Amino acid sequence: MPGDVTAEARQRIRRRGFEETALERNGLKLDTGAPVTAAVSTGAHVAAGFGDGTVRFFHPETPPVTVYAHRGAVLCLAADCQTGYVLTGGDDGRFLLISADGAVEEIASFGTRWVDCVAAGPGWRACSSGRFAHLWRAGDTDSRPFEHPSTVGGLAFDAKGARLAVSHYGGATVWERRDRRWKAKKLVWKGSHGAVSFSPDGKYVVTAMQENALHGWRLRDKADMRMSGYPAKTKSFAWVGDAPYLASSGADEAICWPFDGKDGPMGRAPASCAYGGKQLCTAVAGLVGLSGVFAGFADGAVLAGRLAFGAEDLVIKGSSGSAVTALAVSPEGWLFIGEESGRALWVKLGGVVT
Amino acid sequence: MSEMSQIPVTVLTGFLGAGKTTLLNRILTERHGKRYAVIVNEFGEEGIDNELVVDADEEVFEMNNGCICCTVRGDLIRILGGLMKRGDKFDAIIVETTGLADPAPVAQTFFVDQDVADRTRLDAIVTVADAVHLDGQLGEHHEAEEQVAFADVVLLNKTDMADSDQLGRVENRIRGINPYAKIIRTERCGASLDEVIGLNAFSLDRVLEVEPDFLTSDHDHEHDDDVKSLSLVSEEPLDLEKFQTWFGELLQTRGPDILRSKGILDFKGEDDRFVFQGVHMLMDGAPMGPWPEGDRISRLVFIGRNLDTMDLENGFASCRAT
Repeated sequence: MPGDVTAEARQRIRRRGFEETALERNGLKLDTGAPVTAAVSTGAHVAAGFGDGTVRFFHPETPPVTVYAHRGAVLCLAADCQTGYVLTGGDDGRFLLISADGAVEEIASFGTRWVDCVAAGPGWRACSSGRFAHLWRAGDTDSRPFEHPSTVGGLAFDAKGARLAVSHYGGATVWERRDRRWKAKKLVWKGSHGAVSFSPDGKYVVTAMQENALHGWRLRDKADMRMSGYPAKTKSFAWVGDAPYLASSGADEAICWPFDGKDGPMGRAPASCAYGGKQLCTAVAGLVGLSGVFAGFADGAVLAGRLAFGAEDLVIKGSSGSAVTALAVSPEGWLFIGEESGRALWVKLGGVVT
Repeated sequence: MSEMSQIPVTVLTGFLGAGKTTLLNRILTERHGKRYAVIVNEFGEEGIDNELVVDADEEVFEMNNGCICCTVRGDLIRILGGLMKRGDKFDAIIVETTGLADPAPVAQTFFVDQDVADRTRLDAIVTVADAVHLDGQLGEHHEAEEQVAFADVVLLNKTDMADSDQLGRVENRIRGINPYAKIIRTERCGASLDEVIGLNAFSLDRVLEVEPDFLTSDHDHEHDDDVKSLSLVSEEPLDLEKFQTWFGELLQTRGPDILRSKGILDFKGEDDRFVFQGVHMLMDGAPMGPWPEGDRISRLVFIGRNLDTMDLENGFASCRAT
């Protein structure tokens, strides 16, 4: 079948993995020695967090800027796209605001308690430590604490910054700002919930569960959406394409759930792309409006797939033996790849993929 | 999945006042040349301030997988995941539980969570017991029994406060609940750290060291404790299918009462010894090399409650290959 991965090609990939690519050879390579823990695009830059507490900013034209931010590991990272800043949380208990030129501002410190999750929305900043999510209006020093039934597993604002989704054991809580007050709406689903996200249109909330599944709610009527069938935990997801699709890790290729129409993925099968040859997909990235899906694997390979019938996968980076832990793509068509080994790659994709 | 090795995790249980903090302080301050991370609970006896100490709230979660007694420590999944992200690695991780904690969810976390199982391994459960007060605690709190039942090592602490009669009595009582734990008598948790950390007690190899002596010896019970142990032996080979059916159903239906189980089994037609160990309904097993020269004797060990109502002798006997 034209464009499809042939049985023979699949066999070959399973046996040998992927070889080093020309894109990879031409990219900027770093070997930091500390696991890459997270990466986000701020628009102009991609920022990456590392296990030794550093944050690095990557830009197409200038050398990377290294910021010594946390004493332990950078546990989480969020981009404030309005300002180009990033928010970080660390196992040193600090919640930081960092600019691409390396200026660090401590927003809060929680002592021996870790800052597990951070989120940025237009005009708002949030972090979590233990059961509490703390919310700041950008520029304010006073925060308001929101308590939850268990430790917070994920935090996300909607596109307008009017709602904050907080995941935890037993479901998620959506805090909505109305008449200057934040009101809670409970979304219930048994089990423990981690990373959380609003769909770009704000109609759905999705969480990655402790089980091998994603869970979603349609906010209008709290209808549940089970997205299961993964062989492993889904820890990474991204909104891509026009529908949009929710691309996710946790299988041997990127699993992409359609969120168009009235019912989103309910009762529909997911699409898939970027087949990694029996390796587990450990990270995904993409951009809303563009159909390219970037998938990183447990053996270090990174593929670009496309959500179109018969589209061929493109190998971005070959198998290195260390799992891909972070991926971020910039609107200008640059891709950041971070490995558990501490190696990182910054490559220009050009028009090939995006 | 990765090129990194598994970091051993020691679980430290014991009632408030037994001496867990003394032991933790030794682990953190002694010059042992090792790097240990310590996860402490919020109800610790006193604050320990050290950059390698992580505060945790014990959060016991039910897994949404239909397994009725499958609870895990959600906070541990999160914290172990976070520690694995650090650039500087640890030789071992120590998890302190609260005095009244049931050790099962901690142990089960290592069986159930794939990320935890990939990166770390449960090394041993070490229970610190107060030589003077354990006797009373065992009668009053089922958690004390569970902590002894789950233990690979019992540090019988504060032995300087008890006389030899008292010590003998409390040791007998520990043996009655769990004859397989190693008992170390200490005064101020003065045991060598090598006897506490890096024991590999949950490795399947260690099951092979289950002492055959214990299988025959009777222990005097002054108290009739709720938790008991039972061991079964078969000199005839077992039928794999029959065993799987019986044992699978046993764990499914009686798992909540079976705290720990271990076995070395001879299946008909197999050259290798099959070794397993389990916590409640979960178990981990594998063939562990050929039998040594001589008789092949299958052994099965249970520690739990209401074992006498499970018809274990007949059930095990029915697994013999005919």
